[in-house]
Amino acid sequence: MVDIYAVDFNKYRPPKAVVYGRKCPECGTVDYPAPMLCKHCGARRDPSGVEHSSWEKVPLGGKCKLLTWTKLYALPEGFTDRYLLFGIVEFESGLRASARLLVEEPKFGMSLVAEAGLVREKVGKDAYGFLCRKPEKS
Amino acid sequence: MIVDELERKLRPPEMPMVPYPPKLITLASGEKMVVREVRREETGVLLETIFPLIGVPDDFYDIVAVRMYSEVLGWYRYRVANEFVFVGAIDGEIAGIVTSRCVDEKIGISLHTLTVKRGLRVGAQLFAAKMEHHLEFLDQQEVWIVAESPIGFRRWMIEYGLENAEDRYPEIHHELGGVPTYILTKEIYNRVRNEKVTGVRPVPPEVLSTADELRPPEEYPQIPGYKRSKQKGKAS
Amino acid sequence: MRKVAIVGIGHTVFGNLSKFDLVDIMSYASTNALDDAGIRKERKIIDQVFAANVGACLLNGQTGVASSMASRIDLEPAMAESIENGPASGASALKCGVMAIASGMADVVMVTGGEVMRSVTGWEGTDFVARMLHPEAEYDYGLTLPAFGGMFTRLYMERYGLTEEELAMVAVKDHENGSKNPYAHVPYTCTLEGIHCSPNADIINNVIAEPLRLYGMCPVSDGGASLILCAMDSPKMKYFKNKPPIRVSGIGSATDTHCVHHRKDPLELKAVALSAERAYKMAGLGPQDISFAELHDAFVILELAISEEVGFFKRGKARESVVKGETRIDGKLPINTSGGLKAKGHPIGATGVSQVFELVKQLRGEAEEGRQVKNPKHGLAVNFGGFGNNVVATICSKE
Repeated sequence: MVDIYAVDFNKYRPPKAVVYGRKCPECGTVDYPAPMLCKHCGARRDPSGVEHSSWEKVPLGGKCKLLTWTKLYALPEGFTDRYLLFGIVEFESGLRASARLLVEEPKFGMSLVAEAGLVREKVGKDAYGFLCRKPEKS
Repeated sequence: MIVDELERKLRPPEMPMVPYPPKLITLASGEKMVVREVRREETGVLLETIFPLIGVPDDFYDIVAVRMYSEVLGWYRYRVANEFVFVGAIDGEIAGIVTSRCVDEKIGISLHTLTVKRGLRVGAQLFAAKMEHHLEFLDQQEVWIVAESPIGFRRWMIEYGLENAEDRYPEIHHELGGVPTYILTKEIYNRVRNEKVTGVRPVPPEVLSTADELRPPEEYPQIPGYKRSKQKGKAS
Repeated sequence: MRKVAIVGIGHTVFGNLSKFDLVDIMSYASTNALDDAGIRKERKIIDQVFAANVGACLLNGQTGVASSMASRIDLEPAMAESIENGPASGASALKCGVMAIASGMADVVMVTGGEVMRSVTGWEGTDFVARMLHPEAEYDYGLTLPAFGGMFTRLYMERYGLTEEELAMVAVKDHENGSKNPYAHVPYTCTLEGIHCSPNADIINNVIAEPLRLYGMCPVSDGGASLILCAMDSPKMKYFKNKPPIRVSGIGSATDTHCVHHRKDPLELKAVALSAERAYKMAGLGPQDISFAELHDAFVILELAISEEVGFFKRGKARESVVKGETRIDGKLPINTSGGLKAKGHPIGATGVSQVFELVKQLRGEAEEGRQVKNPKHGLAVNFGGFGNNVVATICSKE
C-alpha cells in the first residue's frame, strides 16, 4: 500500500551531473550523443525502451585531447558571461565531443580532463555537458 | 570675467577639469576620425548636427537627440555642472557626439552618445573615450550609466560587465529619468580597458587641423533623402 | 530531364527591414521578379510556388508562409509549399523548383526566399540560428554557428598557415564588390589598414569567436529574393521574351554529420564537395569551366574552404589566390561578386535564392558598373546549411 501523504525528499537533491553515451547492444560501439541507428551495424534504438532496447547508458568523461577551440564573445540569449571558451576534444577511446573549456590559454593537442557539469539552466531540465580542465599534477 | 550677481547665482559651481587630449582612430573604412573636446564657439554646429535627429523615432534617436540638444545648450549656457562634450570628426565632418559630466571628484555621470555615421563603431569608440576621460584623465572612481535604448545598453552591460546598482536606489540614482542605474568602476574599467579603448596620440598636426573647423553632416543615414540646405534653418 | 531556365529575377535591399511584414517582403521580391519577367498581368501562368524561410514561426509568429505569399500576390490556385533547410533553404527551394519542372508537374515555378531576423535582439537572433545545432551535444552548451566558424578557422590557420591579414583581404574584396551592389546591407568599403594594420584595428575589428573577428563574419539581415523558372520546352516560354533565359545546368545537394565532432577531419566539408560533384555531373562541367562563383561566406573562412572543396584550388591553397588577387572582380576567378554574405548580408532563407539571382545578373551582363564579370559562361553558387551538414550547389549557364 502506498502512503499517498509521503513526500519523496530525494526529488529535491540536485541530480548528479553526468553525460551519457549509449552503447550499441549488438556491436558494442559507444556513441555520443545518442543516435537512433548504430553507424556501425545499423542496430536501432528505442528511446522509450518499449519495443526495442534503449541501449545501455555509459557515463563519459576523463582524459581527452584538445583538437581545436575558440573564445566566443557573442553568446546567445540567456548567457550573461562576457565570453566562454569552447573546443572539440577527443577521448582516449577515440570518441569526440564539443565541450566547454575551463582553461584560459588552450593549445593544440593539450591534455585535458573532461567532467560532466551544468552548461545551461533550463526550467525543469538543466542541461549537462563536458567541462574540461587541465589535469591536476599528480 | 565679469558676470552679474544674478547670473552667478544661476550658474553651477565649477570643478577644475583637465582638458582631454585629442586622439586619432582609424575606422574600418580606413577613414581617420579625430576624437576631441569641443569649444564653446562650436555649439552652433553641434546643435545643427543634433537637431534633425529629434524627428527620428527609430532606435530611440528622437529622445537621445532631444536630450543631448538640451545638454549641449545647458553646457553652453552654464546651466549644467562640470559637463564635457566630445566629437568624433572625419575630415571635419561630425560623425558622432558624446556628453558627460562630473558630479564631484569621485563620481561621473555619463549622459548621451549620438552616432550619425553608422556601422563603423563610432558610437562605441566615443563612449569609450568618455570613460577614458572620467577614469584616467580626470582620475574619477566610478561613472554612473543609464540608457534609453535597451539593446545598446545590454551591449554595454555585458561587454563592460557593469555593476548593477538598481537595488541602491535612491542613494545611487542617475539624473536621467530615475531609471535603473549601472556603474562602471575603475576596477571594471581597468579589466576591459585594453579591449575597449583605443586611439593614437598625439594626433599628427596635419590630421588634427582637418578637425579645426567642424561641419555638420551633409547626409543622415537615419533620414533617407535628407539634404542639408544652403539656406539657414531649412532642410529639403 | 527537362531543361530549366531562369526567366525572371527579383531582390529587395538587404538590411534592417524589421518594420515590414515578412510575407510583404517576400511578396515584394516576388513582384520584382514578375516585373523582370514581364508577367505581372500574366502571373496566373505560375503553376507552383516554393517559399524558402527559416524563422517565420520562431521570430515572426507566422506559419504557412508559402500559402500566405501565394495569396498576397494573387497567384491562387498555384501549388505552394514552404521549404526549411536552415541557411540552405533558398537553394533547396530552387532544387525543388527544378525537380517540379523536371518531373513534369509544373512548367512555371516561382522560388522566393525571405527572412526578417532583426525584429528580435542580436542575442535572440544568435540563439535562433544556433538551434540548427545538435540540441544536447552543441546547442545546450551555448555553442553558436560563429563558434564553429572560429574553431574551423583556428584549425585551418594551424594546418595551412593562413594569416589574419589574408582573412582580412577577403573581407576587403567582398566589401569592394558589395559597395557597388545596390541591394547590399553594408554598402561601404573597408580597408586593410582599417581592419587589420592600424594601431586600433584590434579594437575596431574586435574578436567575436577567436580568431574570427567582426569583419570575418556576415551581418544579421532582413530581405527577400525571388526567381521565376520555366521549362524550356514549355509553350509558356513565349511569355518570356524580355530577357535572355539563363539555364540551371546543374544542381546537387548532400548532407554531412549533424554534430561537427562526428567528422573524421573537422576541416573536410564533405557535403560541399559532394553537392558540387553532383551539380558538375548534371551540367557535364568541371571546376575549370566555372567563370565566377557565389560561395557561402557567412564566415570569411568559408569562402576559402568552399572554394577548395569545389575544386577551384588545392586544400590549403585558396589563400594564395587571395594574395594574388585572383578572386577579385578583375581576377581569373571572381568570387562573391555580389559582396558575398559578408557585405551583401544574410537573411538566411533568402541567401540561396540571392546567390542565384547574382549568377543570373552576371550571366545576363546586367551587373552594376565595376562589378560585372567579363564574358561569364557558367556560374556556381554554393549554399551552406547548418555548419556544413546540408549543402546545395547550383550551376547556371548562358544559353
